[in-house]
Amino acid sequence: MGPLAPNGIISENTNFLLAFFIGIAFGFVLESSGFSSSRKLAGIFYGYDAVVLKVFFTGAITCMVGLLFMSLFGWIDLDLVYVNPTYLTSAIIGGVIMGAGFIMGGFCPGTSFTGAAIGKIDAMVFVGGLFIGVYGFAFTYPWWEKMYMAKYLGEPKVSESLGMKDGLFGLLLIIAALLMFVVAEWAEKKFPREEY
Amino acid sequence: MSDITKTERSRRYLNPYLGGVLLGLVLLAANFIAGRGLGASGAIKSVVATSIEVVHKDAVNTMPFMAEYAESHSGSPMRSWLVFEMLGVLVGGFISGAIAGRLKLKVEHSPKITSGRRLVFALMGGTLFGLGSQIGRGCTSGSALSGMGVLSLGGFITMMAIFGTAYALAYFFRRNWI
Amino acid sequence: MKPLKLLALFIIPLGIILAAVPADKTRRFKLSADELLQEAGAGVQFISPDVIADMLVQKDPSLQLVDVRTPEEFEAYSMPGAINIPLSNLLSDEYTDILNQDARMNVFYSNGSVYANEAWMLTRQLGYENNFVLEGGLNYWFGNILSAQAPAQTSPNEEFAKYDFRKSAATALGGGGVVTTEGSAPTVKAVKPAVTAKAKKKPAGGC
Repeated sequence: MGPLAPNGIISENTNFLLAFFIGIAFGFVLESSGFSSSRKLAGIFYGYDAVVLKVFFTGAITCMVGLLFMSLFGWIDLDLVYVNPTYLTSAIIGGVIMGAGFIMGGFCPGTSFTGAAIGKIDAMVFVGGLFIGVYGFAFTYPWWEKMYMAKYLGEPKVSESLGMKDGLFGLLLIIAALLMFVVAEWAEKKFPREEY
Repeated sequence: MSDITKTERSRRYLNPYLGGVLLGLVLLAANFIAGRGLGASGAIKSVVATSIEVVHKDAVNTMPFMAEYAESHSGSPMRSWLVFEMLGVLVGGFISGAIAGRLKLKVEHSPKITSGRRLVFALMGGTLFGLGSQIGRGCTSGSALSGMGVLSLGGFITMMAIFGTAYALAYFFRRNWI
Repeated sequence: MKPLKLLALFIIPLGIILAAVPADKTRRFKLSADELLQEAGAGVQFISPDVIADMLVQKDPSLQLVDVRTPEEFEAYSMPGAINIPLSNLLSDEYTDILNQDARMNVFYSNGSVYANEAWMLTRQLGYENNFVLEGGLNYWFGNILSAQAPAQTSPNEEFAKYDFRKSAATALGGGGVVTTEGSAPTVKAVKPAVTAKAKKKPAGGC
């Protein structure tokens, strides 16, 4: 019965070891999908390359469907799976700052590691920037603290806050994602770019 | 490598939907095994916290950031799931790049700008992203992707904020990309 | 086939299945220890015997009394309409449907309230709702409802109202002493149409 680590089925050390292997798989998939290239990543914002949208949302709905089915079969206890907490103010402000960082830098932390791993210097510089940003946050933490802790709503799920079942929301998300993919493919044809 | 045409090279990337399914399965495995999703920015936080502690042993008492970090992480700050995961990401990315012949030390940039300019923006972008990921309690991997996988409201909100802002600002940075 | 169509073809049916499945199955709800302690401390599970008596008199169909004592004790005496789920068998599969539902109100009772309370804690931990405990158990039921004592003359009017109600309820429910009813035959009396379950109705009377 999963999840394995919270249920004590595997030890913490095993968990960390498996984390390493999961990371390998994560990095491999990211790089194979082209996420090591900042130009491919930025492409979604200009229409010419929708890889981010496709991989991201397909990944999210695959995981979601997988979790719900596993729960249905009794293979996993969803109450023990971490659901990100919702701090309304900081979720939005952090997201806005990250969005700016994304369009400027063309990477996000996970993909920048992937890019750095294959030798992309701009990715390595981005990682350097990440450290600067985090150190900055660490030393200026008191400035942010109030905003950081504001509007804590617990760990609600989107389906809960919309008042619908998880499964129904899942279906709606799937449909929304597929529609986005259709639009994205249209955009890719309309704004082609030379290969990079 | 130079005689392989550019279109052929791009075909060596996985089909994005397949990549997405694989990514989803990796995320699913993480949730099943560890009861948590993937992440990235948290690993940076761990390294930062460790380095601060090494240099300034009493930091937990003097810096509220360190105190807050210590609350949610017992033991050595480097013994964190994300640190091990990100080490794996480096390895996995390297292996994939090696297999596909994409290993090359270079600055990737649009032909319309210089590599110097690209690096400046990479640094600025990284700094902003580092700051934003701390405030937003996660980045696109940890908060947006993993959050959506478990239907977290916070995850969704952060994801929409990231993508919305990037779209809104895309026009101003278009010169860097197209 | 285009990859997108393939993906859609595969994942939409899965999504439909998930949407169609009833909510209970996709989440196994458990209370945390803190939550359980809070509820137990607040005593939310207790139902006053007066309320039960009233529901029995009204023949409220949403009430289901559950005797958690041994079958022998159940044979010796049981409350009207009660079923027997011995505490030792509480978690057996055959009773899950009875204990985990939202149509009726299960009220556990035992001689005192220890066993009934244990039953409540167990089912509550599993996330089942609509299970309650008869306050005071059978001991209180006999002593105060079925053999209601007339209050002292100096008692407040409320006490008299309660006493009147209990007397009439006792008559309706088969009076004081041990009655050897078997299992589930409810007492036959003039049937008033059942009012919605949990409303605490105060009996007429008083000042």
